[in-house]
Amino acid sequence: MALSSSSAGKAPEAGVGSAKSRATTSPNGKIGRASAPYLLILPSILFAFWIIGYPIYDMANMSVHAVNRFGKTAAFNDFANYQRLFSHQLFIGCLIRTLVWTVFVVGGTVLLSVPIALILNEKFYGRTLARIIIMLPWAVSLTMTGIVWRWSLNGQFGMVNATLSQMGLLGAPVEWLATSTTAFPILIAIGILVSIPFTVTVILGGLSSLQADVFEAAKIDGASGWQRFRYLTLPLIRPFLNIVLVLNFIYVFNSFPLIWVMTQGDPANSTDILVTWLYKLAFRYGELGIASALSIVMFGILLALTITYAALAMRNERSTV
Amino acid sequence: MYQIKKSRVLGLLAGAAVMLGASSGAQAETIRVVLGYYSAATQGLFEDMAKDFMAKHPGDEVKIEVIQWDNLQQRLTTDIAGGTEPDISMIGTRWLVDYVKNDIAEPLDGYMTPEFKSGFIESFLSPSTFDGQMYGLPVAASARAMYYNKDLLAKAGVNEPPTNWDGVVDTARKIKALGTDAYGFALQGKEIETDAYWYYSLWTHGGDILKDGKSGVASPEAVKALTLYKSMIDEGLTEPDPSGLNRQDIERLFKQGRIGMILTGPWLRGQIKADAPTLNYALSTIPEGSTKATYGVTDTLMVFKSSKNKELAMKFLTETAFSPKWRIEFSTKEGFLPVMKEEAAAPVFANDPQLKAFTDMLPYAHFAPPVANWEQMVDAVIASLQKVYIGQAQPEAALQEAAATIDGLIQQ
Repeated sequence: MALSSSSAGKAPEAGVGSAKSRATTSPNGKIGRASAPYLLILPSILFAFWIIGYPIYDMANMSVHAVNRFGKTAAFNDFANYQRLFSHQLFIGCLIRTLVWTVFVVGGTVLLSVPIALILNEKFYGRTLARIIIMLPWAVSLTMTGIVWRWSLNGQFGMVNATLSQMGLLGAPVEWLATSTTAFPILIAIGILVSIPFTVTVILGGLSSLQADVFEAAKIDGASGWQRFRYLTLPLIRPFLNIVLVLNFIYVFNSFPLIWVMTQGDPANSTDILVTWLYKLAFRYGELGIASALSIVMFGILLALTITYAALAMRNERSTV
Repeated sequence: MYQIKKSRVLGLLAGAAVMLGASSGAQAETIRVVLGYYSAATQGLFEDMAKDFMAKHPGDEVKIEVIQWDNLQQRLTTDIAGGTEPDISMIGTRWLVDYVKNDIAEPLDGYMTPEFKSGFIESFLSPSTFDGQMYGLPVAASARAMYYNKDLLAKAGVNEPPTNWDGVVDTARKIKALGTDAYGFALQGKEIETDAYWYYSLWTHGGDILKDGKSGVASPEAVKALTLYKSMIDEGLTEPDPSGLNRQDIERLFKQGRIGMILTGPWLRGQIKADAPTLNYALSTIPEGSTKATYGVTDTLMVFKSSKNKELAMKFLTETAFSPKWRIEFSTKEGFLPVMKEEAAAPVFANDPQLKAFTDMLPYAHFAPPVANWEQMVDAVIASLQKVYIGQAQPEAALQEAAATIDGLIQQ
């Protein structure tokens, strides 16, 4: 089944490729061979541009026009949407919370995932089971995780308070999600929890690709466990860490379901991050103009940070090589 | 974590919807009706209405689609942006002003006889009337009243339910003095209608959300209304940390017999019947301050201006959906108040003493003001209330913040 479908998939590709290369090779064989790969991926690139690029274009276009709540754009309005966004009393607060949320969730996730992946990479009895248990939360949708935690943290009926008061640790019920001083750290902790499976998987993939003989040699040379980790493992899995950092950064920055399900940004917007506020702006308030401006700003922030990080990571790699 | 690119998907969704819509252009007239989900009964009720109507109009078709209320506004927004709106939709009446302003709702007076129009209870028509024209038919109506736990009040030595706020505070103190895990007065502090729970106090203290085209939420009456709630929280007369409890949470506490008094709508009667049949409770009016008041809410069926079959759509409404038979069926099954006179006179409603607590309040009902940007004003009010409930701000300062936001939104 798999074989036949993959060969069937390749056949037209090869046909197109040979036809194109035949057409371009006739004047000069070298240029034809060099351009063939580009021609081959051209349709995919165009498709990707259409799928990704068009909504961005549409959003950018909307963000500089007056828009009514039903998405009908009117005249160009001199960046009034951006002006209103930046002067909005909630913007700065949401931006700061978004950065705090992202840095803590991504940082916590990576700090926890590396040791977990190292443990799961060791050979021990029941390793497969342990791996499955770590991966399992991944199969549960974020919305469901959010609902379960929301129930568990309920002050009057929740499991957390019931357990704590049974252990005698709690006199009166605590409403964990009633103030941001408890709600936001809890949200971050759950954010870390749900990001671990993906992160561990990637790092584990990195660890299993390492060559055992390098480590044996280091062991024979008398390198301690920490030294082997610090000077061998860590540099060798750096490409994987980079991927995990960038992807998690993007996911977490834009993560909507957890916060929306658990607090909806309450109380008094103190757990709102940019993306939950964006949802309110667009679909509750019908402020599609400001919302599209905010989308573009968020896109810009992510793009800038990702490019900066990628550039830094690449420069590091070049200098270590 | 996955990313939900709701806003960016909007364009694509609209595009997909256009393609789907284009393929369904049959000869016989079809009307699409989008409805909000009230309960498991909603879909069946309207399917039956559609069947009834199609039997009388062979060849025509009525398609029913039920959507969760939380997603309804978003769904209609995308439909309108993509030009694939249905013929009829149920909407929250307070949304109607935006639909009228953007020329999306069809004025309905031309499609109905004066007799049909006069069949409605007048107070329910005003929220959907703009410049003397009706843009929607009230389909579901509710008012709010006070539920009280008779056993709990009796245990505290109170045999008659309090009729004013002083009485509520007094009763709550007595319930607190019992030293059980029950709370005197329920206070809702988060999510949908957190603002409404405070409007009861605002309105009965003589205040209003908007006054003379300006915000009234920082008026002396409003400050008094909020100070009352805050003092009850501080005194331990409500459940602790109200900002952690939404409407379902406090209703659940009431059903467990742990709340003395709660202000809410007729739906709780049905829930108690199903979840806590032994609860000994009764209904009374919203406590008075300087005046009587309650919150009236209606949902509306409106017809889209873009509809090609407006005549048929209105026939479905006037002949079937708003016929006495289906009205009674709908209101009893969904637990709403009657909106038509003939319906109200039916024995199921006229002989229900509990329902009287709600209908008696109707002359004092306040509706959400028909202004643009209403949802944003609501969230500004809720944010201020929450700041006060968690002790982050004083009532007056917090309300002034909300008032400034509301005034800014009015001027937009």
